[in-house]
Amino acid sequence: MNIRFPYKVELSFPGDLEYIPSIRKFVSEVLLVSQFSPKFAYRSEIIVDEICNNAVNYGSQADDARIELVCEIFEDRIEFTIKDQGGSKDHLERLQSVLQNDSNEEKSHNGLGLEIVRMLSESLNVVIDDKHLTSVHIVRKREDKTQSS
Amino acid sequence: MESQIELVYEDIRGHGHAKLIKFIGDLDATNVETVLEKVCNLFNDGIYTIIADFKKLRYVNSTGLGILLHFSKSAREKGGCFKIANINENVYEIIEIIGATSLLEIYDELSEAIAALE
Amino acid sequence: MIIETKEVAALPNTIIVQLSGELDFECITQISDLFIQIEKSDKNFAIVDLTAVSLISSAVLGELMGGRKRLIEKGGDLVLAGLKMDIRTKLGLMGATKIFRIFSDIRSALNSYKWENGSHPEQVKISFPSNLNIVPPVRQLVSRITKQKGYGNRDSFRIETIVDEVCNNAVEHGKQGDDQRINLQLQIDPDKVEIDVVNTSDPDKVESLKTLLHPHEIGEIKAEEKRGRGLALIKMLSDELSVNCSESGTSVHVKKKREE
Repeated sequence: MNIRFPYKVELSFPGDLEYIPSIRKFVSEVLLVSQFSPKFAYRSEIIVDEICNNAVNYGSQADDARIELVCEIFEDRIEFTIKDQGGSKDHLERLQSVLQNDSNEEKSHNGLGLEIVRMLSESLNVVIDDKHLTSVHIVRKREDKTQSS
Repeated sequence: MESQIELVYEDIRGHGHAKLIKFIGDLDATNVETVLEKVCNLFNDGIYTIIADFKKLRYVNSTGLGILLHFSKSAREKGGCFKIANINENVYEIIEIIGATSLLEIYDELSEAIAALE
Repeated sequence: MIIETKEVAALPNTIIVQLSGELDFECITQISDLFIQIEKSDKNFAIVDLTAVSLISSAVLGELMGGRKRLIEKGGDLVLAGLKMDIRTKLGLMGATKIFRIFSDIRSALNSYKWENGSHPEQVKISFPSNLNIVPPVRQLVSRITKQKGYGNRDSFRIETIVDEVCNNAVEHGKQGDDQRINLQLQIDPDKVEIDVVNTSDPDKVESLKTLLHPHEIGEIKAEEKRGRGLALIKMLSDELSVNCSESGTSVHVKKKREE
Protein backbone atom coordinates (compact mmCIF):
# COMPACT_ATOMS: atom_id res chain seq x y z
CA MET A 1 0.00 0.00 0.00
CA ASN A 2 1.27 3.45 -0.87
CA ILE A 3 2.45 5.64 1.95
CA ARG A 4 -0.15 8.24 2.74
CA PHE A 5 0.86 11.90 2.45
CA PRO A 6 2.19 13.80 4.26
CA TYR A 7 4.89 11.73 5.89
CA LYS A 8 8.31 12.37 7.34
CA VAL A 9 11.62 10.64 7.05
CA GLU A 10 14.29 11.75 9.52
CA LEU A 11 17.99 11.05 9.30
CA SER A 12 20.85 11.69 11.66
CA PHE A 13 24.41 11.03 10.54
CA PRO A 14 28.02 12.06 11.24
CA GLY A 15 29.14 15.37 9.77
CA ASP A 16 31.40 13.78 7.20
CA LEU A 17 31.19 14.13 3.42
CA GLU A 18 31.47 10.39 2.88
CA TYR A 19 27.92 9.77 4.11
CA ILE A 20 26.34 12.17 1.69
CA PRO A 21 26.16 9.99 -1.45
CA SER A 22 24.22 7.31 0.44
CA ILE A 23 21.90 9.89 2.01
CA ARG A 24 21.10 11.65 -1.25
CA LYS A 25 20.38 8.39 -3.05
CA PHE A 26 18.11 7.34 -0.21
CA VAL A 27 16.05 10.51 -0.55
CA SER A 28 15.80 10.00 -4.31
CA GLU A 29 14.61 6.42 -3.85
CA VAL A 30 12.03 7.44 -1.25
CA LEU A 31 10.60 9.98 -3.68
CA LEU A 32 10.44 7.43 -6.50
CA VAL A 33 8.57 5.07 -4.19
CA SER A 34 6.02 7.85 -3.68
CA GLN A 35 5.53 8.23 -7.42
CA PHE A 36 7.44 11.46 -7.88
CA SER A 37 9.04 11.65 -11.31
CA PRO A 38 12.67 10.59 -11.88
CA LYS A 39 13.45 14.20 -12.74
CA PHE A 40 11.99 15.45 -9.47
CA ALA A 41 13.91 12.78 -7.61
CA TYR A 42 17.15 13.78 -9.34
CA ARG A 43 16.69 17.48 -8.59
CA SER A 44 15.91 16.66 -4.97
CA GLU A 45 19.04 14.54 -4.85
CA ILE A 46 21.04 17.57 -5.95
CA ILE A 47 19.39 19.75 -3.28
CA VAL A 48 20.13 17.24 -0.53
CA ASP A 49 23.72 16.87 -1.76
CA GLU A 50 24.38 20.59 -1.79
CA ILE A 51 22.75 21.38 1.57
CA CYS A 52 24.49 18.46 3.27
CA ASN A 53 27.84 19.53 1.80
CA ASN A 54 27.24 23.00 3.18
CA ALA A 55 26.31 21.67 6.59
CA VAL A 56 29.50 19.60 6.71
CA ASN A 57 31.74 22.38 5.40
CA TYR A 58 30.22 25.35 7.22
CA GLY A 59 28.57 23.78 10.23
CA SER A 60 30.09 22.55 13.45
CA GLN A 61 33.67 21.39 13.02
CA ALA A 62 33.62 19.40 16.26
CA ASP A 63 34.92 15.84 16.00
CA ASP A 64 31.53 14.42 16.91
CA ALA A 65 29.48 16.81 14.77
CA ARG A 66 26.27 15.38 13.45
CA ILE A 67 23.82 16.44 10.78
CA GLU A 68 20.05 16.07 11.04
CA LEU A 69 17.98 15.98 7.90
CA VAL A 70 14.20 15.90 7.93
CA CYS A 71 12.33 15.26 4.67
CA GLU A 72 8.64 15.96 4.80
CA ILE A 73 6.90 14.54 1.78
CA PHE A 74 3.59 16.04 0.75
CA GLU A 75 1.49 15.12 -2.21
CA ASP A 76 2.57 18.23 -4.09
CA ARG A 77 5.98 19.04 -2.66
CA ILE A 78 8.91 18.07 -0.52
CA GLU A 79 10.29 20.11 2.35
CA PHE A 80 13.79 19.64 3.67
CA THR A 81 15.02 20.86 7.00
CA ILE A 82 18.67 20.38 7.72
CA LYS A 83 20.20 21.15 11.09
CA ASP A 84 23.69 21.16 12.38
CA GLN A 85 25.24 22.37 15.61
CA GLY A 86 26.54 25.46 13.94
CA GLY A 87 29.99 26.65 13.09
CA SER A 88 32.36 29.25 14.42
CA LYS A 89 31.55 32.92 13.95
CA ASP A 90 33.81 33.10 10.86
CA HIS A 91 32.07 30.15 9.29
CA LEU A 92 28.64 31.59 9.97
CA GLU A 93 29.54 35.01 8.61
CA ARG A 94 30.84 33.39 5.49
CA LEU A 95 27.68 31.30 5.12
CA GLN A 96 25.50 34.35 5.54
CA SER A 97 27.48 36.30 2.99
CA VAL A 98 27.20 33.45 0.50
CA LEU A 99 23.46 33.23 1.14
CA GLN A 100 23.02 36.96 0.66
CA ASN A 101 24.99 36.62 -2.52
CA ASP A 102 27.18 39.58 -1.70
CA SER A 103 30.49 37.80 -1.70
CA ASN A 104 32.94 39.53 -3.98
CA GLU A 105 35.33 36.65 -4.26
CA GLU A 106 35.02 34.26 -7.14
CA LYS A 107 32.26 31.87 -6.19
CA SER A 108 33.70 28.90 -4.44
CA HIS A 109 32.01 25.62 -5.16
CA ASN A 110 29.92 26.18 -2.05
CA GLY A 111 28.61 29.43 -3.43
CA LEU A 112 27.71 27.50 -6.57
CA GLY A 113 26.00 24.87 -4.49
CA LEU A 114 23.59 27.23 -2.78
CA GLU A 115 22.94 28.95 -6.07
CA ILE A 116 21.82 25.64 -7.50
CA VAL A 117 19.61 24.99 -4.46
CA ARG A 118 18.07 28.43 -4.81
CA MET A 119 17.29 27.82 -8.47
CA LEU A 120 15.78 24.40 -7.81
CA SER A 121 13.55 25.44 -4.90
CA GLU A 122 10.54 27.56 -4.27
CA SER A 123 11.90 28.84 -1.00
CA LEU A 124 15.07 28.67 1.04
CA ASN A 125 15.24 29.94 4.62
CA VAL A 126 18.18 29.90 6.96
CA VAL A 127 17.87 30.34 10.70
CA ILE A 128 20.93 30.74 12.88
CA ASP A 129 20.15 30.99 16.56
CA ASP A 130 22.07 32.22 19.61
CA LYS A 131 23.78 28.89 20.09
CA HIS A 132 24.97 29.02 16.46
CA LEU A 133 22.68 26.15 15.53
CA THR A 134 21.97 26.36 11.85
CA SER A 135 18.74 25.28 10.31
CA VAL A 136 18.03 25.47 6.58
CA HIS A 137 14.54 24.95 5.29
CA ILE A 138 13.83 24.33 1.62
CA VAL A 139 10.62 23.75 -0.26
CA ARG A 140 10.48 22.20 -3.69
CA LYS A 141 7.15 21.80 -5.46
CA ARG A 142 6.19 18.89 -7.60
CA GLU A 143 6.04 19.81 -11.26
CA ASP A 144 2.64 20.09 -12.93
CA LYS A 145 1.83 17.14 -15.13
CA THR A 146 1.58 19.66 -17.95
CA GLN A 147 5.21 20.68 -17.48
CA SER A 148 7.99 18.47 -18.74
CA SER A 149 8.78 15.92 -16.09
CA MET B 1 35.25 5.95 1.00
CA GLU B 2 33.91 7.77 -2.00
CA SER B 3 31.09 7.64 -4.51
CA GLN B 4 31.82 5.28 -7.35
CA ILE B 5 33.43 6.90 -10.36
CA GLU B 6 35.48 5.30 -13.08
CA LEU B 7 37.56 6.98 -15.75
CA VAL B 8 38.29 5.01 -18.88
CA TYR B 9 40.93 6.36 -21.24
CA GLU B 10 41.09 5.95 -24.99
CA ASP B 11 43.30 7.35 -27.69
CA ILE B 12 41.77 9.58 -30.35
CA ARG B 13 42.75 8.53 -33.83
CA GLY B 14 44.67 11.19 -35.67
CA HIS B 15 45.36 13.16 -32.51
CA GLY B 16 48.41 11.74 -30.83
CA HIS B 17 48.55 14.37 -28.11
CA ALA B 18 44.90 14.09 -27.13
CA LYS B 19 42.97 11.70 -24.92
CA LEU B 20 39.35 10.62 -24.64
CA ILE B 21 38.14 10.08 -21.09
CA LYS B 22 34.89 8.23 -20.46
CA PHE B 23 33.39 9.22 -17.11
CA ILE B 24 31.28 6.49 -15.52
CA GLY B 25 29.24 6.96 -12.34
CA ASP B 26 28.64 9.98 -10.09
CA LEU B 27 30.95 12.98 -9.66
CA ASP B 28 30.52 14.65 -6.29
CA ALA B 29 32.40 16.06 -3.33
CA THR B 30 33.59 12.64 -2.19
CA ASN B 31 35.52 11.77 -5.32
CA VAL B 32 36.51 15.07 -7.00
CA GLU B 33 39.99 14.77 -5.54
CA THR B 34 40.54 11.36 -7.14
CA VAL B 35 39.34 12.67 -10.49
CA LEU B 36 41.45 15.82 -10.09
CA GLU B 37 44.52 13.71 -9.51
CA LYS B 38 43.85 11.45 -12.50
CA VAL B 39 43.38 14.34 -14.91
CA CYS B 40 46.42 16.12 -13.45
CA ASN B 41 48.42 13.01 -14.26
CA LEU B 42 47.46 13.51 -17.89
CA PHE B 43 48.54 17.14 -17.70
CA ASN B 44 51.82 15.93 -16.20
CA ASP B 45 52.32 13.72 -19.21
CA GLY B 46 51.92 16.75 -21.47
CA ILE B 47 48.38 15.93 -22.58
CA TYR B 48 46.29 19.08 -22.53
CA THR B 49 43.80 18.20 -25.23
CA ILE B 50 41.05 16.20 -23.62
CA ILE B 51 37.60 15.10 -24.66
CA ALA B 52 35.30 13.93 -21.89
CA ASP B 53 32.51 11.51 -22.80
CA PHE B 54 29.71 11.94 -20.26
CA LYS B 55 27.38 9.31 -21.68
CA LYS B 56 27.61 7.21 -18.53
CA LEU B 57 28.02 10.06 -16.09
CA ARG B 58 24.74 9.97 -14.18
CA TYR B 59 25.25 12.77 -11.70
CA VAL B 60 27.32 15.91 -11.08
CA ASN B 61 27.03 18.33 -8.17
CA SER B 62 28.48 21.82 -7.75
CA THR B 63 31.80 20.46 -6.48
CA GLY B 64 32.08 18.29 -9.57
CA LEU B 65 31.22 21.27 -11.76
CA GLY B 66 33.95 23.21 -10.01
CA ILE B 67 36.63 20.81 -11.13
CA LEU B 68 35.26 20.62 -14.67
CA LEU B 69 35.63 24.39 -14.86
CA HIS B 70 39.12 24.06 -13.40
CA PHE B 71 40.10 21.46 -16.03
CA SER B 72 38.77 23.67 -18.77
CA LYS B 73 40.72 26.67 -17.51
CA SER B 74 43.95 24.73 -16.91
CA ALA B 75 43.85 23.02 -20.30
CA ARG B 76 43.24 26.30 -22.11
CA GLU B 77 46.10 28.00 -20.26
CA LYS B 78 48.42 25.34 -21.64
CA GLY B 79 47.11 25.79 -25.17
CA GLY B 80 44.82 22.77 -25.02
CA CYS B 81 41.13 22.21 -24.34
CA PHE B 82 38.67 20.19 -22.28
CA LYS B 83 35.66 19.38 -24.45
CA ILE B 84 32.60 17.58 -23.13
CA ALA B 85 30.15 15.46 -25.13
CA ASN B 86 27.05 13.31 -24.48
CA ILE B 87 25.87 15.15 -21.38
CA ASN B 88 22.57 13.76 -20.12
CA GLU B 89 19.56 15.96 -19.59
CA ASN B 90 19.77 16.06 -15.81
CA VAL B 91 23.44 16.94 -15.67
CA TYR B 92 23.01 19.54 -18.40
CA GLU B 93 20.25 21.24 -16.46
CA ILE B 94 22.53 21.73 -13.47
CA ILE B 95 25.30 23.17 -15.66
CA GLU B 96 22.72 25.47 -17.23
CA ILE B 97 21.35 26.62 -13.88
CA ILE B 98 24.69 27.96 -12.74
CA GLY B 99 25.31 29.55 -16.09
CA ALA B 100 28.33 27.43 -16.94
CA THR B 101 27.18 26.37 -20.40
CA SER B 102 29.11 29.26 -21.91
CA LEU B 103 32.19 28.52 -19.82
CA LEU B 104 32.51 24.90 -20.91
CA GLU B 105 32.97 23.51 -24.42
CA ILE B 106 29.91 21.33 -24.76
CA TYR B 107 28.97 19.15 -27.75
CA ASP B 108 25.91 16.98 -28.28
CA GLU B 109 27.84 14.18 -29.96
CA LEU B 110 31.30 12.80 -29.45
CA SER B 111 31.96 13.00 -33.19
CA GLU B 112 31.33 16.74 -33.11
CA ALA B 113 33.80 17.23 -30.27
CA ILE B 114 36.46 15.25 -32.12
CA ALA B 115 35.83 17.13 -35.36
CA ALA B 116 36.26 20.39 -33.47
CA LEU B 117 39.81 19.39 -32.62
CA GLU B 118 40.85 20.21 -36.19
CA MET C 1 54.63 31.93 6.34
CA ILE C 2 52.87 31.29 9.61
CA ILE C 3 52.92 28.03 11.53
CA GLU C 4 50.38 27.14 14.18
CA THR C 5 49.93 23.82 15.92
CA LYS C 6 46.90 22.38 17.65
CA GLU C 7 46.32 19.36 19.79
CA VAL C 8 43.33 17.06 19.51
CA ALA C 9 41.69 16.27 22.84
CA ALA C 10 40.33 12.89 21.81
CA LEU C 11 43.60 11.78 20.16
CA PRO C 12 46.60 12.62 22.33
CA ASN C 13 49.08 11.25 19.77
CA THR C 14 47.82 13.60 17.07
CA ILE C 15 48.98 17.08 16.16
CA ILE C 16 47.49 19.48 13.63
CA VAL C 17 50.02 21.72 11.89
CA GLN C 18 48.43 24.73 10.21
CA LEU C 19 50.62 26.40 7.63
CA SER C 20 49.64 29.58 5.86
CA GLY C 21 51.01 32.00 3.33
CA GLU C 22 53.81 31.26 0.91
CA LEU C 23 55.90 28.23 1.67
CA ASP C 24 59.18 29.00 -0.03
CA PHE C 25 62.78 28.05 0.72
CA GLU C 26 62.94 30.61 3.57
CA CYS C 27 60.57 28.46 5.60
CA ILE C 28 62.61 25.30 5.46
CA THR C 29 64.42 25.78 8.75
CA GLN C 30 61.26 26.54 10.70
CA ILE C 31 59.43 23.57 9.26
CA SER C 32 62.39 21.28 9.78
CA ASP C 33 62.73 22.38 13.43
CA LEU C 34 59.04 21.77 14.00
CA PHE C 35 59.28 18.20 12.73
CA ILE C 36 62.32 17.53 14.86
CA GLN C 37 60.30 18.67 17.88
CA ILE C 38 57.36 16.50 16.87
CA GLU C 39 59.65 13.52 16.45
CA LYS C 40 60.89 13.94 20.00
CA SER C 41 57.37 14.34 21.38
CA ASP C 42 54.71 11.73 22.05
CA LYS C 43 52.94 12.57 18.80
CA ASN C 44 53.12 10.25 15.83
CA PHE C 45 50.25 11.40 13.65
CA ALA C 46 50.34 14.82 12.03
CA ILE C 47 47.72 16.49 9.88
CA VAL C 48 49.24 19.32 7.89
CA ASP C 49 46.52 21.83 7.04
CA LEU C 50 47.34 23.69 3.84
CA THR C 51 44.01 25.52 3.48
CA ALA C 52 45.63 28.94 3.83
CA VAL C 53 48.69 28.19 1.73
CA SER C 54 49.07 30.13 -1.48
CA LEU C 55 52.36 28.75 -2.70
CA ILE C 56 54.45 25.68 -1.95
CA SER C 57 57.96 25.07 -3.15
CA SER C 58 59.55 21.71 -3.79
CA ALA C 59 62.06 22.37 -1.00
CA VAL C 60 59.24 22.66 1.53
CA LEU C 61 57.62 19.58 0.09
CA GLY C 62 60.90 17.80 0.72
CA GLU C 63 60.74 18.85 4.37
CA LEU C 64 57.18 17.51 4.64
CA MET C 65 58.32 14.23 3.16
CA GLY C 66 61.13 14.12 5.69
CA GLY C 67 58.68 14.83 8.48
CA ARG C 68 56.45 12.02 7.25
CA LYS C 69 59.34 9.60 7.15
CA ARG C 70 60.18 10.37 10.79
CA LEU C 71 56.59 9.79 11.87
CA ILE C 72 56.29 6.56 9.93
CA GLU C 73 59.36 5.32 11.79
CA LYS C 74 57.39 6.01 14.98
CA GLY C 75 54.51 3.92 13.68
CA GLY C 76 52.46 6.91 12.59
CA ASP C 77 51.89 9.04 9.50
CA LEU C 78 51.67 12.55 8.14
CA VAL C 79 48.76 13.51 5.93
CA LEU C 80 47.76 16.68 4.09
CA ALA C 81 44.42 18.44 4.31
CA GLY C 82 42.56 21.39 2.85
CA LEU C 83 44.42 21.82 -0.42
CA LYS C 84 43.05 24.39 -2.84
CA MET C 85 42.79 23.13 -6.39
CA ASP C 86 45.82 25.05 -7.64
CA ILE C 87 48.02 23.77 -4.83
CA ARG C 88 46.76 20.25 -5.34
CA THR C 89 47.50 20.44 -9.03
CA LYS C 90 50.99 21.70 -8.26
CA LEU C 91 51.56 18.93 -5.73
CA GLY C 92 50.34 16.47 -8.33
CA LEU C 93 52.92 17.76 -10.77
CA MET C 94 55.60 17.32 -8.12
CA GLY C 95 54.52 13.73 -7.55
CA ALA C 96 53.43 14.41 -3.99
CA THR C 97 49.96 12.99 -4.40
CA LYS C 98 51.44 9.53 -4.89
CA ILE C 99 53.20 9.81 -1.54
CA PHE C 100 50.86 11.62 0.83
CA ARG C 101 47.29 10.81 1.68
CA ILE C 102 45.25 13.93 1.03
CA PHE C 103 41.97 14.85 2.71
CA SER C 104 39.54 17.62 1.89
CA ASP C 105 39.67 18.97 5.43
CA ILE C 106 41.05 18.31 8.92
CA ARG C 107 37.91 16.59 10.09
CA SER C 108 37.93 14.03 7.28
CA ALA C 109 41.55 13.29 8.12
CA LEU C 110 40.71 12.87 11.81
CA ASN C 111 37.68 10.70 11.06
CA SER C 112 39.70 8.48 8.79
CA TYR C 113 42.43 8.12 11.41
CA LYS C 114 39.94 7.39 14.18
CA TRP C 115 38.24 4.80 12.02
CA GLU C 116 41.47 2.98 11.27
CA ASN C 117 43.00 3.19 14.70
CA GLY C 118 40.60 2.40 17.41
CA SER C 119 37.05 1.63 18.20
CA HIS C 120 35.26 4.83 17.33
CA PRO C 121 31.95 3.53 16.09
CA GLU C 122 29.83 5.75 13.90
CA GLN C 123 26.07 5.99 14.13
CA VAL C 124 23.33 6.63 11.64
CA LYS C 125 19.71 6.94 12.70
CA ILE C 126 16.69 6.72 10.46
CA SER C 127 13.09 7.32 11.45
CA PHE C 128 10.47 6.38 8.89
CA PRO C 129 6.76 5.55 8.56
CA SER C 130 5.72 1.97 9.15
CA ASN C 131 5.12 0.99 5.52
CA LEU C 132 6.64 -1.82 3.47
CA ASN C 133 7.33 0.43 0.49
CA ILE C 134 9.94 2.38 2.33
CA VAL C 135 11.91 -0.64 3.48
CA PRO C 136 13.88 -1.13 0.22
CA PRO C 137 15.35 2.39 0.31
CA VAL C 138 16.20 1.89 3.99
CA ARG C 139 17.99 -1.39 3.44
CA GLN C 140 19.84 -0.01 0.45
CA LEU C 141 20.94 2.99 2.50
CA VAL C 142 22.42 0.68 5.12
CA SER C 143 24.07 -1.44 2.44
CA ARG C 144 25.67 1.60 0.80
CA ILE C 145 26.94 2.83 4.14
CA THR C 146 28.55 -0.50 4.97
CA LYS C 147 30.23 -0.62 1.56
CA GLN C 148 31.35 2.98 1.88
CA LYS C 149 33.00 2.07 5.20
CA GLY C 150 34.90 -0.74 3.48
CA TYR C 151 32.76 -3.80 4.17
CA GLY C 152 32.80 -6.37 1.35
CA ASN C 153 29.89 -7.19 -0.93
CA ARG C 154 28.99 -10.40 0.86
CA ASP C 155 28.89 -8.81 4.32
CA SER C 156 26.96 -5.81 2.97
CA PHE C 157 24.44 -8.10 1.32
CA ARG C 158 23.90 -10.06 4.51
CA ILE C 159 23.49 -6.88 6.52
CA GLU C 160 21.02 -5.62 3.94
CA THR C 161 19.03 -8.84 4.31
CA ILE C 162 19.04 -8.48 8.09
CA VAL C 163 17.71 -4.92 7.84
CA ASP C 164 15.07 -6.02 5.34
CA GLU C 165 13.77 -8.84 7.53
CA VAL C 166 13.82 -6.84 10.75
CA CYS C 167 12.04 -3.86 9.20
CA ASN C 168 9.49 -6.00 7.37
CA ASN C 169 8.69 -7.71 10.66
CA ALA C 170 8.30 -4.36 12.39
CA VAL C 171 5.86 -3.20 9.70
CA GLU C 172 3.86 -6.43 9.50
CA HIS C 173 3.66 -7.27 13.18
CA GLY C 174 3.80 -3.84 14.77
CA LYS C 175 0.93 -1.51 15.44
CA GLN C 176 -0.79 -0.65 12.16
CA GLY C 177 -1.60 2.84 10.99
CA ASP C 178 -0.15 5.54 8.76
CA ASP C 179 1.09 7.48 11.74
CA GLN C 180 3.17 4.60 13.13
CA ARG C 181 6.91 5.00 12.93
CA ILE C 182 9.94 2.79 12.95
CA ASN C 183 13.29 3.90 14.32
CA LEU C 184 16.45 2.25 13.11
CA GLN C 185 19.91 2.86 14.49
CA LEU C 186 23.00 1.59 12.74
CA GLN C 187 26.23 1.56 14.70
CA ILE C 188 29.27 0.63 12.64
CA ASP C 189 32.94 0.17 13.36
CA PRO C 190 35.69 -1.63 11.43
CA ASP C 191 34.81 -4.96 13.07
CA LYS C 192 31.06 -5.14 13.35
CA VAL C 193 27.68 -3.55 12.88
CA GLU C 194 24.93 -3.28 15.44
CA ILE C 195 21.42 -2.64 14.29
CA ASP C 196 18.60 -1.61 16.60
CA VAL C 197 15.05 -1.32 15.35
CA VAL C 198 12.26 -0.05 17.56
CA ASN C 199 8.58 0.17 16.75
CA THR C 200 5.26 0.37 18.54
CA SER C 201 3.77 -3.00 19.42
CA ASP C 202 0.38 -4.14 18.23
CA PRO C 203 -1.43 -4.65 21.53
CA ASP C 204 -3.34 -7.64 20.09
CA LYS C 205 -0.17 -9.40 19.07
CA VAL C 206 2.07 -8.86 22.07
CA GLU C 207 1.31 -12.14 23.81
CA SER C 208 1.63 -14.32 20.73
CA LEU C 209 4.83 -12.55 19.71
CA LYS C 210 6.31 -13.09 23.16
CA THR C 211 5.77 -16.82 22.70
CA LEU C 212 7.23 -16.85 19.21
CA LEU C 213 10.21 -14.87 20.34
CA HIS C 214 11.14 -17.17 23.19
CA PRO C 215 14.94 -17.22 22.93
CA HIS C 216 15.23 -20.96 22.52
CA GLU C 217 12.70 -21.11 19.78
CA ILE C 218 14.19 -18.66 17.33
CA GLY C 219 16.22 -20.69 14.90
CA GLU C 220 14.35 -23.87 15.57
CA ILE C 221 11.57 -22.74 13.32
CA LYS C 222 11.29 -24.86 10.25
CA ALA C 223 11.25 -23.46 6.71
CA GLU C 224 7.71 -24.65 6.09
CA GLU C 225 6.32 -22.81 9.09
CA LYS C 226 4.26 -19.77 8.24
CA ARG C 227 5.65 -17.51 10.89
CA GLY C 228 9.12 -16.89 12.15
CA ARG C 229 11.13 -17.61 8.99
CA GLY C 230 12.37 -14.05 8.88
CA LEU C 231 13.67 -14.25 12.42
CA ALA C 232 15.29 -17.61 11.76
CA LEU C 233 17.06 -16.10 8.75
CA ILE C 234 18.24 -13.11 10.77
CA LYS C 235 19.56 -15.42 13.45
CA MET C 236 21.49 -17.45 10.88
CA LEU C 237 23.06 -14.35 9.34
CA SER C 238 24.00 -12.59 12.55
CA ASP C 239 26.18 -13.15 15.59
CA GLU C 240 23.75 -11.87 18.17
CA LEU C 241 20.03 -11.37 18.10
CA SER C 242 17.75 -10.27 20.86
CA VAL C 243 14.13 -9.27 20.70
CA ASN C 244 12.13 -7.57 23.34
CA CYS C 245 8.41 -7.31 22.93
CA SER C 246 6.17 -5.60 25.44
CA GLU C 247 3.13 -3.38 25.50
CA SER C 248 5.35 -0.32 25.38
CA GLY C 249 7.19 -1.33 22.24
CA THR C 250 9.14 -3.91 20.35
CA SER C 251 12.87 -3.65 19.95
CA VAL C 252 15.22 -5.82 18.00
CA HIS C 253 18.96 -5.78 18.47
CA VAL C 254 21.24 -7.48 15.95
CA LYS C 255 25.00 -7.68 15.95
CA LYS C 256 26.93 -8.87 12.95
CA LYS C 257 30.71 -9.17 12.84
CA ARG C 258 32.62 -8.29 9.75
CA GLU C 259 33.90 -11.37 7.95
CA GLU C 260 35.53 -10.07 4.77
